[in-house]
Amino acid sequence: MTETVRHKNWDFALTVTTVALLGMLGVQSFIGTLYVWWATNAVPGFEIAGYGRFVWWMNAIAAPQVVALVIVMGLCVPKRLFDRTALVVVSGAMVGVGLAAWAFTGSFQTGLAVYLALAALIQAGIVVLTVAGARGPSYLTEGRLVKTGSGLLHQGFIAFAFVVVALQRSAFMLPAFWIATALTLLGTVLAFYADRFARRRTVRLEVDRSFTAE
Amino acid sequence: MNPALVQAEIARLVQTLGTIGAPLQALLPAAAVVLVALAAVPAWRALLGPAVSVSAFVLLLGEIVLAWFHWRLYALAVVVSPDTGRVAGRVAVPLWVESEKLFVWALALALMAVLIRKHRQELLPGVAVILAALMAGAALWGKPFTEPLPSFLGQYLGYLQAMASGDPTRMFGAYQGMEGARQFYYNTVYMWVHPPALFFAYATFAISFVATLVMVRERHSAYETTAYRWARLGYLPLTAGMLLGFPWAIIAWQGESWWWSGKVNMSIMMWILYTALLHARLYLRRQGMWRWVAAISILAFLVLLLTYLATYIVPGAHSYL
Repeated sequence: MTETVRHKNWDFALTVTTVALLGMLGVQSFIGTLYVWWATNAVPGFEIAGYGRFVWWMNAIAAPQVVALVIVMGLCVPKRLFDRTALVVVSGAMVGVGLAAWAFTGSFQTGLAVYLALAALIQAGIVVLTVAGARGPSYLTEGRLVKTGSGLLHQGFIAFAFVVVALQRSAFMLPAFWIATALTLLGTVLAFYADRFARRRTVRLEVDRSFTAE
Repeated sequence: MNPALVQAEIARLVQTLGTIGAPLQALLPAAAVVLVALAAVPAWRALLGPAVSVSAFVLLLGEIVLAWFHWRLYALAVVVSPDTGRVAGRVAVPLWVESEKLFVWALALALMAVLIRKHRQELLPGVAVILAALMAGAALWGKPFTEPLPSFLGQYLGYLQAMASGDPTRMFGAYQGMEGARQFYYNTVYMWVHPPALFFAYATFAISFVATLVMVRERHSAYETTAYRWARLGYLPLTAGMLLGFPWAIIAWQGESWWWSGKVNMSIMMWILYTALLHARLYLRRQGMWRWVAAISILAFLVLLLTYLATYIVPGAHSYL
């Protein structure tokens, strides 16, 4: 019971952190948008001389937030599978492998890509276990279809982040993007629209059981 | 292709559209006033349902007229290469660009308003006010029947004039611009999927927003469920529409820092807020969480409105300034 409560608190903390990071990026975007609107009208020649500098600053401010978001997204993955102690070990190992890849290659981008690849691998395992109906993965939602949808949706987000981080100049960019899109959309359909179907099936099974008992 | 002949045919077509559509266009602000009046006076609310249905019918009729106009325009709007004299293709102008955007959004909302079943009585006044604003905006700002497709017709008629001029430099420049717009804008699959998916989503989010306001007023969880159901209905087309824009943006806006364009920024913010809304709802049983859910829902819709307006206010890759 305590473990479940702790697990849910960890879930809640990660959700709040994700929302906070997304919110910060949102505020930055909003301020940036307002600034461009103001500067275009108030600063002569802004679009030619000033816009490049604006983009540089926006990228520089957003970069640490995006990196933090990617790391938090990666940490969201093992929480479905492991208890608290194992979770800390696995999360730490993921970050460690990412850091090692960064140190080894000298490319921060590669470090992030390795970290995301690990997250994608674990998430793939979670999806397989969820589809198989194993009791291991824990979710806040009910119903196997809805859980599978949630798993696929997050797999899609990780794949999309991988495309942005690692494949922007690769020939695999578009195929990988379409896979991420398919996963995200299929996941959305199952996560948000399958609950009624799942509930109806459950009710029918309960009725059958009562008939058998009689 | 005879440019002068095509130009005359297009002028005749635009005139016919104006003749057929002007009464419909005039009807929209009048219907908007009626909707607001019926929503404002509780004693008249019994008439609100039929009034919304009539509005939906008028909008649908208008859309059929616009579809006919686009079909006729497709037959006329041929792009010919000045080099070879061969037809490069026809311009298929989508039904949801330029002056027709608010019209399509109003149509989507009107049709959904007709279909509302759960909490219909409570939701209809709020939905009718938003519908009235969209209809008035479509008629007075968009003017899809009397001033159709100003940007496209301006460019295409300019292309025809250049082709008639016989000046090779002018002809080639106009052809490149027109063919680029045909291939990378009007005729792309993206333009036929992305905007309608978003307008469908916008319509569902408008109803979700009204349900949230009713929840805040009534403080009853049943309205939250209704708000959630409408929001989740819109989340799939919103996500699909935005994701499908990504590969298109990479090709069409190559070399531009389009991710910091005001419209793109606001769109991502809107998606983030709706994602946050659907996630926050998982914790609805926590004390006071419903207030956060309501706040996110209201904020998300306000950002949606700003996202729509950003195209016309903030410069950038996804701007019509």
